[in-house]
Amino acid sequence: MKLISFLFLFAMGVVQVRAQEEALLPLDEKGKLIYYEVVALKDQPKDSLQLRVFNYFKGNKSLKSNSAIGDSLWVAEGKMVVDKTLLVMSHPSGEILYRFYVEVKDQKYRFWISDFNFIPYQRDRYGNFVPSTPIGTPLEKDPGKLNMSQWKEYQLLATTFAKAFAVSFKQYMANKAPITIPIPVQKVVRKNW
Amino acid sequence: MKKKFMLSALVLGCGTVAFAQVTTPSPLQISGSVDTYYKYDFNKAGNIKTYFANEQNSVSLGMIDLALKKTTGKASFVGELSFGPRGQSQSIPNALGAYDETTNSFNIQNLYVNYAFSDKFNVTAGYMGTFIGYEVISPAANFNYSTSYLFGSGPFQNAGIKASYAFSDKVSLMAGLFNDWNVYQDFNGVSHIGAQLTIVPATGWTAYLNVLSGRAAGAAGTGTIFDLTTAYQITGQFKLGLNAADYTVSNDNGGYSGVALYPQYAFTPAVALGLRAEFFNYKGVGTAANASVSSFTFSGNIKSGGLTFIPEIRFDSDKDFSQGFANKNGIIGAKSASQFSLAAVYTF
Repeated sequence: MKLISFLFLFAMGVVQVRAQEEALLPLDEKGKLIYYEVVALKDQPKDSLQLRVFNYFKGNKSLKSNSAIGDSLWVAEGKMVVDKTLLVMSHPSGEILYRFYVEVKDQKYRFWISDFNFIPYQRDRYGNFVPSTPIGTPLEKDPGKLNMSQWKEYQLLATTFAKAFAVSFKQYMANKAPITIPIPVQKVVRKNW
Repeated sequence: MKKKFMLSALVLGCGTVAFAQVTTPSPLQISGSVDTYYKYDFNKAGNIKTYFANEQNSVSLGMIDLALKKTTGKASFVGELSFGPRGQSQSIPNALGAYDETTNSFNIQNLYVNYAFSDKFNVTAGYMGTFIGYEVISPAANFNYSTSYLFGSGPFQNAGIKASYAFSDKVSLMAGLFNDWNVYQDFNGVSHIGAQLTIVPATGWTAYLNVLSGRAAGAAGTGTIFDLTTAYQITGQFKLGLNAADYTVSNDNGGYSGVALYPQYAFTPAVALGLRAEFFNYKGVGTAANASVSSFTFSGNIKSGGLTFIPEIRFDSDKDFSQGFANKNGIIGAKSASQFSLAAVYTF
């Protein structure tokens, strides 16, 4: 029994140490945390990739304020809620806002996730958890010694999220299934004849 | 012993690993806060009795606050109870439905059910934190630990039924029927009407225009309160809040008016300083004269995880002797009072 207990604790320790040691996102030239990747897709023309990106944004309801810059760069904003969990106890403790950029060219595209901002939640007078401020704190900012460990958790969470998001997005873009172009519904106008 | 050991290891492990994960909202949210404080009045008396943090030269208790929330589809409930001086005898009412400093009970902070008919329209019924004013009972939601005269004079909670409709992201309206202030049961019928217009003039700026009117059981007249509560996060560091209110009881039966300004500056996410500057006026009943007080409170917020330390220094001026401040000799009649306090508030 002691052996089982020891092995269990050892296993838990390994999991926690690995979680802590996971590399955080690198910084870009502006000093912001960034996940950046260039993906080559042979035999995929630019217009096909454009359509895939367009459909991805259209179908992903967690991304807001989608906008296109020119005909090849898309920007969207998203957020993830940080949920503090301790066995049965759970409540949202904050949210991390981010921006997602995608740019396409012939046979390749690149995307990056950046502009991570953390907004802590606080419980309002009605017992609901709401953002305590509308303006987030950049996740790469030094929080000071007092909140260092918690801030590292948020940075680690953003890293884990960005990697999972990237995997999901690349899978979508690599999907060989034909993309259907929505056909506008034609209406019969009988008013003028 | 072995079972306890295994259980402890399981609890410790699960708690740590599961922290900070992106998940869907929990079916049952459990949260709350605990607070305690030390106060030292420079006249060595229990001056500045704005409801909470009154006890002189004592490491005293605030309250433990426990809240449950669950959402199932479009329906949700919130149940929030508090225990301890701040949440019991110093709040209104206690479990017996009466205000009695000597009765030891608990206080219901929130007990309501809500149904969201759509993203824009929802109805709530039960006992809720008041929609009037800037400050609340729970110290976890206030920047300053001591509370203002405006807070102490206005309603703490309202029982009733209210409907809210969001016209857009920038404008919404709430209207409802309510009991008398701070009672679980209204003995003269549902006697108050209230409304709140919420406006978002700019990103980070929210303003609430509130009104609550009705005749409470046994009251001399109909009381009507108009309240403006607004906060503007002007930059990432600087926030400015304002609360202005006017309360009048008909037939010249008194009331109050006041304004409080709340500038706050965050040096880091963990360290912030703030000021509360308040001017408050009690309206005299009949031919009685008005009485005014002013108060300046400087507070710090130093956060580490769930813990917030709130060092605070406060100066109150009572030129009309309405507050009964004692001087250093213990004689009532001082025109001013000042105090230092240090509070610790833990939220979970």
